[in-house]
Amino acid sequence: MKLNQLNNATRATLAFSAMAGALILVGVGQSWALSLTILNLCLISSVMALGVNIQWGYAGLFNIGIMGFAALGGAAAMLVSTPPVGNAWAAGSWNILFSALCFVGTIVAAWQVHKKLKNSRFQTIVMIAVLVTGYMLTRSFFDPAVDAVEATDSAKTGFLGGLGLPIILSWPVGGVLAAGAAWIIGKVALGLRSDYLAIATLGISEIVVAILKNEDWLTRGVKNVNGLSRPVPYELDLHHSEWFISLVEKFRASDLAGLEGLAREAVLKEAITESAGVFVKLCYAGLFTAVLVIILTLCVLALNSPWGRMMRAIRDNETAAEAMGKDVTGRHLQIFILGSAVCGIAGAMLTTLDGQLTPTSYIPLRFTFLIWVMVIVGGSGNNLGSILGGFLIWFVWIEAEPAGVWLMNTLTAWLPEGNSVKNHLVQSAQHMRLVVMGLVLLLVMRFTPGGIIPETSK
Amino acid sequence: MKKLLLASALMATTGTQVVHAEDVKIGVFLGFTGAIESIVADMGPAAELAIKEVSDSGALLGGSSVTGVRGDTTCTDSAAATAAAERLITSDKVSALVGGDCSGVTTAALQNVAMPNGIVMVSPSATSPALSTIEDNGLFFRTAPSDARQGVIVSDILNEKGVKNIAMTYTNNDYGKGLAEAIEKNFTESGGTVTINSAHEDGKGDYSAEVGALAAAGGEVLVVAGYIDQGGKGIIQAALDTGAFDTFYLPDGMVGDALPEAIGPDLNGSYGANPGTDSPGAAKFAEMATAAGFKAGPFAAESYDAAALIMLAMQAAGSSDSAKLKDKVMDVANAPGEKIFPGELAKALKIIADGGDVDYVGASAVELIGAGESAGNYRQVAIDGGKVSTVGYR
Amino acid sequence: MPEMTEILNALVVFTNFVLIPGLAYGSQLALGALGVTLVYGILRFSNFAHGDVMAFGTMVTILVTWWLQSLGVSFGPLPTALLALPLGIAGTVLLCLVTDKFVYRYYRAKKSPPVTLVMASLGVMFVVNGLVRFIIGTDDQRFFDGERFIMKARDFKTLTGLNEGLAIKSSQGITVVIAVILVALLFWFLQKTRAGKSMRAYSDNEDLSLLSGIDPDKVVRITWIIAAALTTIAGVLYGLDKSFKPFTYFQLLLPIFAAAIVGGIGQPIGAIVGGYVIAFSEVLITYPYKKVVTYLVPESWAPEGLLQLLGTEYKFAVSFMILVIVLLVRPTGIFKGKVL
Repeated sequence: MKLNQLNNATRATLAFSAMAGALILVGVGQSWALSLTILNLCLISSVMALGVNIQWGYAGLFNIGIMGFAALGGAAAMLVSTPPVGNAWAAGSWNILFSALCFVGTIVAAWQVHKKLKNSRFQTIVMIAVLVTGYMLTRSFFDPAVDAVEATDSAKTGFLGGLGLPIILSWPVGGVLAAGAAWIIGKVALGLRSDYLAIATLGISEIVVAILKNEDWLTRGVKNVNGLSRPVPYELDLHHSEWFISLVEKFRASDLAGLEGLAREAVLKEAITESAGVFVKLCYAGLFTAVLVIILTLCVLALNSPWGRMMRAIRDNETAAEAMGKDVTGRHLQIFILGSAVCGIAGAMLTTLDGQLTPTSYIPLRFTFLIWVMVIVGGSGNNLGSILGGFLIWFVWIEAEPAGVWLMNTLTAWLPEGNSVKNHLVQSAQHMRLVVMGLVLLLVMRFTPGGIIPETSK
Repeated sequence: MKKLLLASALMATTGTQVVHAEDVKIGVFLGFTGAIESIVADMGPAAELAIKEVSDSGALLGGSSVTGVRGDTTCTDSAAATAAAERLITSDKVSALVGGDCSGVTTAALQNVAMPNGIVMVSPSATSPALSTIEDNGLFFRTAPSDARQGVIVSDILNEKGVKNIAMTYTNNDYGKGLAEAIEKNFTESGGTVTINSAHEDGKGDYSAEVGALAAAGGEVLVVAGYIDQGGKGIIQAALDTGAFDTFYLPDGMVGDALPEAIGPDLNGSYGANPGTDSPGAAKFAEMATAAGFKAGPFAAESYDAAALIMLAMQAAGSSDSAKLKDKVMDVANAPGEKIFPGELAKALKIIADGGDVDYVGASAVELIGAGESAGNYRQVAIDGGKVSTVGYR
Repeated sequence: MPEMTEILNALVVFTNFVLIPGLAYGSQLALGALGVTLVYGILRFSNFAHGDVMAFGTMVTILVTWWLQSLGVSFGPLPTALLALPLGIAGTVLLCLVTDKFVYRYYRAKKSPPVTLVMASLGVMFVVNGLVRFIIGTDDQRFFDGERFIMKARDFKTLTGLNEGLAIKSSQGITVVIAVILVALLFWFLQKTRAGKSMRAYSDNEDLSLLSGIDPDKVVRITWIIAAALTTIAGVLYGLDKSFKPFTYFQLLLPIFAAAIVGGIGQPIGAIVGGYVIAFSEVLITYPYKKVVTYLVPESWAPEGLLQLLGTEYKFAVSFMILVIVLLVRPTGIFKGKVL
């Protein structure tokens, strides 16, 4: 037992050192800006993987709707940070309000019908009548409102905008939004078993993304919302900031030594540009690391608490846990909400880093399958494992492209220039990314079945 | 003198030996994988064709060689695109970027990477009107016209044909949606009716539901604001097969000989317009593309032009530095000067080196206006006898 | 009361835009879902590589088709691809058996939980995904030749004198005919042959079937062969009807899964029903009934709106809404699929 744990600790140390080494290698060999860009996305991926690990590793819930929760987080980032669009509100607020009232009214009426007419023969008929009328009423207010909002300067705005608050607030808001969605989904779908739950979550996440893509009045849809505000300074502002310039002069004194006039200016300018990029990315990295550490700490505390032991007991033997009076479905709902909230936070962080909400970017390959690869390769059930997975897989995902190009060029170096096979291979080198990802997954699963840092049994 | 200083400065930072003829790198920053990978399969080689042409000529910046370095935008994933742009700019040290392709990733890369590093981006295919007004420090250009301009053209052509009501479908991304909105606005204002304006998703294959809806709404002409080898083609095929529509209006993403080739004689009688002027550029480019082993597909001509513009601007600025070349892009793209067509890049470089002026026309009739976007001169076409034939220019 | 021709017109519109496309698309989904369901029933995992295996099989068939065409071989009015199909199937069978040998068999022998196998299939998906693009590229490929139509919309109009046209493409006809034949064959195989019976026994109760002397390796092998054949045929039919593009085939994975799950995974009959449910729900819910209703009601009642429940931009989401609703009412699908 002890040996196993020690072994695991060594593994973690080794793996994380290797990861750090790889990032440093990128910094030295390619550029520090690139290395930090990858690091920032690694951090976000880790948070997302942690969220999935909470669900899968702690409770065995097979959720392949991660995309939907990340998208909700992204929407939160936009809704919190963009300033409201006054004209659009003026054009459509009343109708939107009425349609919202109608919608809520319909739900309440349907609920009443469901409760009051439980044993009546007319239940179905009345229910359908209520729903159809409600739908029509809602649409009668909603459609003109949407048209009015979307018509207000549609090329630039055409949506209601958001709250105009600092974007960093959107991280918890994204978490809450995702948690809310998870509560509804959990209520509906957690009764389903394994693959059925999986496909239900996948389906619902597709629906969420479809709404973000097509409800232009809310999210601007496929036209994207650009230029979200940042929680960190802008590079271009730094270029002109006294304190930053003097900082760079201090740090790069050795490069600047002995240079005068124009030459010094040129070198300084390049150093400032380079450092500004690095500085901004370091700020982001600091914020993301803080979030990651907080969530990780909470996870570790939770896992080692009585609650965590109960969760594992439920996961390992549901029937027994239920027989001992544990509320299995209730616990599942809890953990489903928690994990989804973490994914939502990560989604908001990602949108913050991108500086824009792009609903078309939410595709299952990137936001669901890739995250699962992270969890499995890193080590499901182990928090550090999924963090490592997030780092490793994102790193491979980005670096597989230049590596693929290099590999194809090397492999075909002996072929004459202009050879059709060579051309074809070099032209398709970008697809190496997918092959590499598949091979990493298959090889890790085969040779270290629990992942790189497997779960420790307690 | 300035150049010498810069050279010595560069030497000081990198410690490498500097010769006058440099090894210039240009990023080809397009979605080689992902949603529009099949379109990019022609756009990438088109940009690289221009790069090779210039490099082989040895006429750029005292015999500099130019190489293209690819970066994958994935079209949709801003995070991956940002990382790829970061690599191109800070690691491969490219002088400028041809790209991005989809408006979303283009904005992300511009704001997060290109602007902070002061690198010029020339996009061949980002058409979103939002990009016209975006803050770009004079670094962003595009050889594709904004959707807003095309909306006017489409409406004019339909009105001249006496069309009173249209059905419209667009590919569900910023290109399609923006274009469809522009068309609807202009056409409705000029007194026409849009019976339905509905989206279709690319890469889905089956379009029976979409065509059913379009057919039910009806209309004299179906406007298909999509891509020639994606959903747009699927919609037209299904609409013809079911007899839902006979006549189609084809915006820029749909104009190309590949369409009548794929669809057959049923397409005769449809019409459209794509960027172009009364110049032999497009035909010349198509020949060059075939010889180089790729198709002159949608936005391939714009890609070639984007790369060409960057290199001509370098020559005019006498430097491969983005900060300098950005001020020359408009000069080389517009009159006055000798008109330059595809395949004549060596000639253009020589004229500029000798102190002359060029007006790059290229494959897509480049004319930059405003904040550096294509003016949108359009070539009106009709499908006739299984070929795209030019009717006029506007 | 509307006149007879009005009713006929309404009927023809509905058939042309809803019934026939739905039937063809549904058949293609059903064949795809059958493959998923068989693998699930015997090997007990959801095969995420299915869409890309489909692309692989279609790719091989297309390559053979091109080769045949270059030799001048044709199949008369039918598409040449049907002649190339056996080789395409052979290629896919080979791919499936190789992946089974190098990937899935190890986990099966270890009795790993199903999710491990799902993850392994994710790995296979990535690899095959890249492989197909390496070989045939990312482009759209059309490989349909032969007679395109059984009935053209224009001919139908002149023939019947109705306002509305009815078109039936040969690819749609071929799809439905082949789907019916295949389903009949599959059920005959599962019910009547020794191998089919052993497959069913294995699927019902693995331990018991092993006790009765069934060779598990053989059952698995047969399953892969049948699944590969169904998948390839589904892919080729889809490609003939629309067109082939690797990205599209990867995307097909989701509706195929939805179909298999709605019907009840592990149940062949469920896969077929599920395929049609998904296909028809997509069309029926996003179809504007304006035209149909206009033909049926008196002129003064003609609707102004489109009478469309949801815009086509929600088409993809609709199939998942149906899926979620079905699962709420019947948690294991329409035909009570397997519960793990």
